[in-house]
Amino acid sequence: MIRISEVYKYRGHECVINGVNLVIPQGTQVGLIGPGGAGKSLLMKICAGLVRPDSGSVLIDGTEVVGIGDVEMTSVRSKIGMLFQNYALFDFMTVEENIGFPLRQLGGRTEEEIRDEVNRLLLAVDLPNTQKLFPNELSGGMKKRVTFARAVIANPPILFYDDPTAGLDPVTSGKIFALLEERRERGGTTSIVVSHDILGMRDICDSFVLMDHGRIVFSGTREEIEASTRPFVGQFWRGEADD
Amino acid sequence: MQALSPFKLLSRFGAAFMEVALDVGGMAVLLYKVIRCFFPPKLDGMETWRNLYKVGVKSAPIVVVTALLTGAIMVIQSGALVAQFDAFGLLGWGAGFATLREVGPIMIGLMFSGRVGANNTAELGTMKVTDQIDALRALAIDPITYLLVPRFIAIVLMMFLLTIVGDLTALVGGAYTGQVLLGVSPSLFASSVIEYIKLEDLFNGLFKAFTFGVAIAVVSSHYGMTTSGGAVGVGRSVNNSVVASAVLIFVLDYFITSILH
Repeated sequence: MIRISEVYKYRGHECVINGVNLVIPQGTQVGLIGPGGAGKSLLMKICAGLVRPDSGSVLIDGTEVVGIGDVEMTSVRSKIGMLFQNYALFDFMTVEENIGFPLRQLGGRTEEEIRDEVNRLLLAVDLPNTQKLFPNELSGGMKKRVTFARAVIANPPILFYDDPTAGLDPVTSGKIFALLEERRERGGTTSIVVSHDILGMRDICDSFVLMDHGRIVFSGTREEIEASTRPFVGQFWRGEADD
Repeated sequence: MQALSPFKLLSRFGAAFMEVALDVGGMAVLLYKVIRCFFPPKLDGMETWRNLYKVGVKSAPIVVVTALLTGAIMVIQSGALVAQFDAFGLLGWGAGFATLREVGPIMIGLMFSGRVGANNTAELGTMKVTDQIDALRALAIDPITYLLVPRFIAIVLMMFLLTIVGDLTALVGGAYTGQVLLGVSPSLFASSVIEYIKLEDLFNGLFKAFTFGVAIAVVSSHYGMTTSGGAVGVGRSVNNSVVASAVLIFVLDYFITSILH
């Protein structure tokens, strides 16, 4: 479970995360939506311990991640997988090395076992025969799928997906959402999906959190958000322009 | 152009001072974090080998060429004086003393800061702006241990070893130039080196090479890890890294020379 309490983050004098409270129960997939600059990716990075908030508390599986030391944080991060918005693939490694990297660092597996697991995942993400390619030889959609494979290879119980379909064509976006849905159906994983693609997210998340100007303005299931009478919520969900 | 008010001038001076203080503080903290990783030793073997190869083997040809020319230039510079006083027996000492103690480490240090330091900053800076450093942290891997310690070891060790190679090559270049331009036999050049140059002169230069290596590694890593602002930010960091490394090399050289003289 992830519990975020009274989290504030300032950039200069501007409050970019403004007193956020959120609970994500174990095994659920939450869609974090909102306009650009609302603070979604930043909140996700705070949850992953990559950005330290100015105040507040973030509990991941009962462990407070705000203000803890490197050693304790390493133990928390070993439970987390993250798909980055702009891929963040290691450009000096091949596809095979990138995906197998978390397993190599964890240790306890032979090279052959790691290679088998990488090949299995490459087939699952529909990228066979790309093992020896470098990230600069891949298209955006291929990079996203490699990043997905790297995020899930160690089977972390918590997954953060930061805009997994940003800049992708509808067909590739559909493939990525299918992978996320497949992962959710397997159960046991707590995840947050940040995306602007409301249409694609509708069927793959258990609940939704709408952010605006660093605040959570709505939190609920798909049915609840669709039934909301608040103009901003309805307008954002349906993707309508201002009058 | 309108003159700046004293307040604005003071404010600008203060901002510039704070920027330098932040950089110096950041470098000191970085050096501490890197040194801490040696007790007990924590480093990635593969990454260390990769960096040793990239920094050492790939820099060797340019070091050899630079050193050969440095030795030759030292002989050309001292040649006129040597011929004027008929002091051919001192040619090896004249060229070797300056090369081993001063010119060798400085030239190789500057070359290293331009080639290896700039490359290190660009690589780390690009990794920073493309979230690769955050990706490492998200995978529970400490970027200091995985990225910086191997680079630190490679730069310091290779700067030291390549200075030895450079010193020897410079002496060969000097001996060859002495024979061609002044007719001084290589054996006379060598005996002059052996007779007048002390081991202390060699160690003096190697100590400088070691400290220059530490400076280049820390400065280039610091600017790489603090890069922000995309491609423009990477360019700015590389520029800052090369300038700061060069300045630091001369500052360190001044103090080491003053202390060891």
